[in-house]
Amino acid sequence: MADALKIAIPSKGRLMEKSENLLAKAGFGIERSGDARGYMGRLTGIENVDVAFLSASEIAGKLRDGSVDAGVTGEDLLWENIPDLDRRITIAVRLGFGHADVVVAVPESWLDVDSIADLDEVSVAYHASHNRRLRVATKYFNITREFFARKGVTGYRIVESLGATEGAPAAGTAQMIVDITSSGSTLRANHLKILDDGVILKSQACLAVNPVEGEKKRATDQIIAALDKLV
Amino acid sequence: MPSKPPQLRTALDAQDAILAGVFENAGFNYIAPDILQPADVFLDRSGEDLRTRTYVFTDPDGHELCLRPDITIPVCRHYLEYGPAFREETRYCYAGPVFRFQPGGDLAAKPREFEQTGIEYFGAKDREHAEAETLALAMEAMDAVGLTGYSVQLGDLGLFDALLAGIEMPQRWRSRLHHQFWRPEAFRALLAGLTSNGHAEQRYAAQLTGTDEAEAARLVERILDEKSLPLVPGRSIEDIALRLHEKAADRVEPPLAQEAAKLIEDYLAISGNPLDALDQVAALNAPGPAISRACEALAKRCVLLSGLGVDPSSLTFSAEFGRNLEYYTGHVFQIEVPYKTRTKQVVGGGRYDNLLSDIGAPQPVPAVGFAIHSERLAGVI
Repeated sequence: MADALKIAIPSKGRLMEKSENLLAKAGFGIERSGDARGYMGRLTGIENVDVAFLSASEIAGKLRDGSVDAGVTGEDLLWENIPDLDRRITIAVRLGFGHADVVVAVPESWLDVDSIADLDEVSVAYHASHNRRLRVATKYFNITREFFARKGVTGYRIVESLGATEGAPAAGTAQMIVDITSSGSTLRANHLKILDDGVILKSQACLAVNPVEGEKKRATDQIIAALDKLV
Repeated sequence: MPSKPPQLRTALDAQDAILAGVFENAGFNYIAPDILQPADVFLDRSGEDLRTRTYVFTDPDGHELCLRPDITIPVCRHYLEYGPAFREETRYCYAGPVFRFQPGGDLAAKPREFEQTGIEYFGAKDREHAEAETLALAMEAMDAVGLTGYSVQLGDLGLFDALLAGIEMPQRWRSRLHHQFWRPEAFRALLAGLTSNGHAEQRYAAQLTGTDEAEAARLVERILDEKSLPLVPGRSIEDIALRLHEKAADRVEPPLAQEAAKLIEDYLAISGNPLDALDQVAALNAPGPAISRACEALAKRCVLLSGLGVDPSSLTFSAEFGRNLEYYTGHVFQIEVPYKTRTKQVVGGGRYDNLLSDIGAPQPVPAVGFAIHSERLAGVI
């Protein structure tokens, strides 16, 4: 028998629930192997498809190194974790849930800053008076660098933030942030505002696939077609 | 991960010995600064683009360190720590590995660990003399290791600043033009904006038109108070107010004259051997004393180079040529060799008068230097 197609599904939270619901609506069930907490399984309603349950960011990593053929994860994580994403991987179906924007946000008290161009000017003045660069707190290193490089902003430094990024400016570890937001309420609660042209990426959950052939191709095509009808 | 072939090490050692001989003869003292460096000083100077290529890590004590991506800053740090107490003229030379991540993997053509050899010359009182001397020394070093068929590119960031200084416009516009010098597209857009009054509309600037900085500060204070917006560390009410005040001033500022924009564009198009380039600059009839002083400096450099056996008409000056490293402030140069259909840079250098005070010198220290990409050099001999 040919190699099974390996598809990765988020292993917890709302992303897991919504992925499983959508697959069920499309006619595919999930059979977990071993005990109920197993991290492996099979897709039913289709031949020869293995399921791996992983965290959403692990899924992006496994897609990158090719150890899974397909996976459901956030677009933000794909762009962050996979260099040359558009040449290596196809975002086959945008699934209509897990909506969130990756944005550049600055303190609301910066009344003089509305745009990336303002930020660029402020970064120059800041460097001149403090002899250090503006700090950007984020977990999105690659997305941030790519975006600022495209906009010609160079006077900044990234500080790593793995949680509660929106608190970094008040804490003094950074002056601004690049983070994900769905309603903007966390940003507002922390007195941060999104720059007018500061939406870097409109992200949602999606099915991403590596290039596959033969049996695997037929299986992915079948899954994509079934999901396409629902979204 | 393949390691370097032993023959390459032997070749580099032999080349370094010749280069060190040339530098020590010219009065430069060999130093070997640390490979392991604090990351902050590099990252606050170079920004995120170099950070993506610098090997940065946190040690078990939580200190952020890096493998040096360049040797100039380590030499500056060495000078601040061990240099002469009265900051008299100091000449250093060095050779050693630097480390830069290469996207696409560690290839022989673009190694992640490669050798840099160079000199730094601090505190020289005669600026043009130090510039001419170091350029002639770089060329002498190329000749000593047997490099032929190379060309020398010259630029002068001081000339550009001098041109701007003579053109009537607010100082903040000069700073913006200076800042965008490195990005031709953004530069053109900015210049077009300044000549057409195309300043971005700012929601508070309209209310501040015709008022002073104090009024801007009162407005900022009032709004922050009404909306209960806290300041974050790093930018004060005065910082925010000053910029709003400038935005308000931009709204009523007469636009930059078309002739002034044309003058800047014509200047940036100048290229040729430095003597011709000087004639071209003179023909621009640019206003102000700064530009004539900067031209005199370039002319003096040419005379000094002749005296050192370098024919200035064999060099190429280009007004647009600069280095995309923010620490260069004046004279810049690069030595390159033809490689396939393009050219390959083997030496880069110039004047960087702000770096030492930026990293802790109590006063500005004039500095010139250059770095040789030793592996590239060995590869083209």
